[in-house]
Amino acid sequence: MTHDLSVEKIRQGFAQAGYICNPAIAMTMLLAYKLEKPVLVEGPPGVGKTELAKATATLLNYDLIRLQCYEGLDESKALYEWKYGKQLLYTQLLKEKLGDLLKGTHDLPSSIARLHEFGDIFYSEDFLEPRPLLQALRAEKGTVLLIDEIDKADHEFESFLLEMLSDYQISIPEIGTIKARHHPIVFLTSNNTRELSDALKRRCLHLYIPFPDAALERTIIQTRVPGVNEALREQLVGFVQQLRQLDLKKQPAISETIDWARTLLLLHTEALSAETVESTLNVLLKHEEDITSVKDDLRGLLAKLVQRK
Amino acid sequence: MDRILVDFIKALRGTGVRTSTAETLDAVAAVKIVGYSNRDYLKSALATTLAKTEDDHQKFNLCFDQFFSFNALDSYGEKQPAQKPPESTAARLLQSLRPQPPAPAQSQSPLGQMLMQGNPQQVAVALAQAGAAANVNQIRVLTQKGLYGRRMMLQMGLAEMEQEMWNAEQSTDPQQQQLAQNLREAREQLREEVRQYVERQLLLQAAGESRALRESIMLETRLDNLREFKDVQILVRKLAKRLLATHSRRRKVFQRGKLDVRTTIRRNIAYGGVLLETHWKTKKVDRPKVMAICDVSGSVSQYAKFLLMFLYSLTDVLKNVRAFAFSSDLVEVTQLFEQYDLNDAVDATLKRVGGGSTDYGRSLQTFADLCLNEVDNRTTVIMLGDARNNYGEPRTELLRQLHARSRQLIWLNPENRSRWGSGDSEMKRYRPYCTWAEPVQSLAQLERFISHLLRYNH
Repeated sequence: MTHDLSVEKIRQGFAQAGYICNPAIAMTMLLAYKLEKPVLVEGPPGVGKTELAKATATLLNYDLIRLQCYEGLDESKALYEWKYGKQLLYTQLLKEKLGDLLKGTHDLPSSIARLHEFGDIFYSEDFLEPRPLLQALRAEKGTVLLIDEIDKADHEFESFLLEMLSDYQISIPEIGTIKARHHPIVFLTSNNTRELSDALKRRCLHLYIPFPDAALERTIIQTRVPGVNEALREQLVGFVQQLRQLDLKKQPAISETIDWARTLLLLHTEALSAETVESTLNVLLKHEEDITSVKDDLRGLLAKLVQRK
Repeated sequence: MDRILVDFIKALRGTGVRTSTAETLDAVAAVKIVGYSNRDYLKSALATTLAKTEDDHQKFNLCFDQFFSFNALDSYGEKQPAQKPPESTAARLLQSLRPQPPAPAQSQSPLGQMLMQGNPQQVAVALAQAGAAANVNQIRVLTQKGLYGRRMMLQMGLAEMEQEMWNAEQSTDPQQQQLAQNLREAREQLREEVRQYVERQLLLQAAGESRALRESIMLETRLDNLREFKDVQILVRKLAKRLLATHSRRRKVFQRGKLDVRTTIRRNIAYGGVLLETHWKTKKVDRPKVMAICDVSGSVSQYAKFLLMFLYSLTDVLKNVRAFAFSSDLVEVTQLFEQYDLNDAVDATLKRVGGGSTDYGRSLQTFADLCLNEVDNRTTVIMLGDARNNYGEPRTELLRQLHARSRQLIWLNPENRSRWGSGDSEMKRYRPYCTWAEPVQSLAQLERFISHLLRYNH
């Protein structure tokens, strides 16, 4: 199925994987696949940036390799590390063998020459601990590589990624350049805590995922929380959409809507009432000030909801 | 069709989206996959390859809607081929009175045929191609509209169609008469389409062009001639933002408590591989510490606002900036800059110290009293001023001290090099104690300088 991908097919495939998306997302995904380019996904937290990578992996039946970025992340965590412990252990164990090895050599130059014959045994792939990036490059079949929250990593790491993103290869000084066997599909996500460099942006396709509109959000709830009846679904999505219009510290995202829908389902709610909303508001809103300000306004919001219907 | 895409990207650049050649190539590749047939698909494919920030996306949407507005042409598609464009009530009345009109003869000219068939995509493509051939994207001013419109119509084969129309008019055959009538209507509609197309192009190309043009002119204009204050402010912000983007990577990185295994092993080879000495990963990148002193006296009153604005932007870009302003005496304005936004901060500064007669000697003395102790070998001192001291005591020894203590002392003078030392200018006497002394007369020079400062100064 991977050869004749189209926007519609991707949307259907995503829907089967439980990920409902708009055509723009599917289009980006299609281009990423066809042009073999990494995708930079931006958007407010909780709109399904990470989910997109997971859904893509399911759709294409690829493995998902995830690299979570944080401040101080460096190549030994992201790319590879030598197994220093193993190296040390082996040298200690082999110490006794040294005599046998050097048998027949008489002076220093010839001993060194003999040692050289064993080459870089200690810097071979056996002693290499692959980290996510290297795993993705060396994978036998296609992979989806998710580099999560790239904006949290340092600038140095961003520059370090450039080689990987444009040529799908990486240089290890002791071994050489490692090229990808299959070009992985790379997703980078960012919450925009800082501006990413132009060089990085230039190499990526850019996808901005906004909060979904009411219709899309209803479909998402329908797929993810099928137990919620239609009337309640309409109400709860309408309510969340209204909340997003308010001036809040953190607006409720899709993941919170889903959580809320599940909560309401557990409580056997048939229709929204001021009491249920008030008692479950902490599922939607994560700041005390937000909760207080919405509580004050709750009846007004619910009344509007009824009016619109 | 690639040419149209290139035109679109040109228009997009005009709106302020920075699009590189590599991205253009991506867009071309993407369009090859997606095609021009579905407008929504085209839009999202281009958006994902060309617009790389949220801000860019908004500009992109606007630009795309203006550039590829097929809507005007949809009117062709919704009608049946034989149907005519909307007529006035009078004409319709006239027609109803007439006996059954004879079926018109088929048009022979290619343009006539295309218009009669009324396929909107086809017409849109033909319009765009004619537009490209007639170089409509070169349009800059309103008065060129007629010229380019005419050129486009000729490009589309209007001459041939008109010839056919006239021939048909001469004929007495009612079928031919009807054809002539239809052709005339088609021509009117085409004229309208072309006019709209040219107008859109003008809006896109000229608007973008003029802004870019104005900005590039402003960058090179002498500071004292800049009067469009609001625009300048935006520009200065832009400069500061660009500086911030390129240089914020020089952040301090401290990784405490993390063992650098590689170096540790290497260091301990001397002890036979027994780990005695540990080596920790520490990486420290210094940010420049800057103290900027700005002259706001009467002699530089024309520049003062800009110098202050730039000083303000500098405090935005760099963390460790202390700002001072002086005319007859010096005050520290760092706090002002932190508290207020640009305009208020500049106004407040000018109110407090601006406009007095210059006294470099006294101001240097105050500066030395205030914070000579804090000037160390990591500090860059920037002087912004014309060094015109009203024949007062220049106190060069203070500047020498500053120069000796600091990493570098930079003097930015809004006057031309040739005027240094003339009249009451003490620039010649201060010059030996400056690591650098540069005339800064335009925003472009200022930006170049600051970028240099950031690059080589840590």
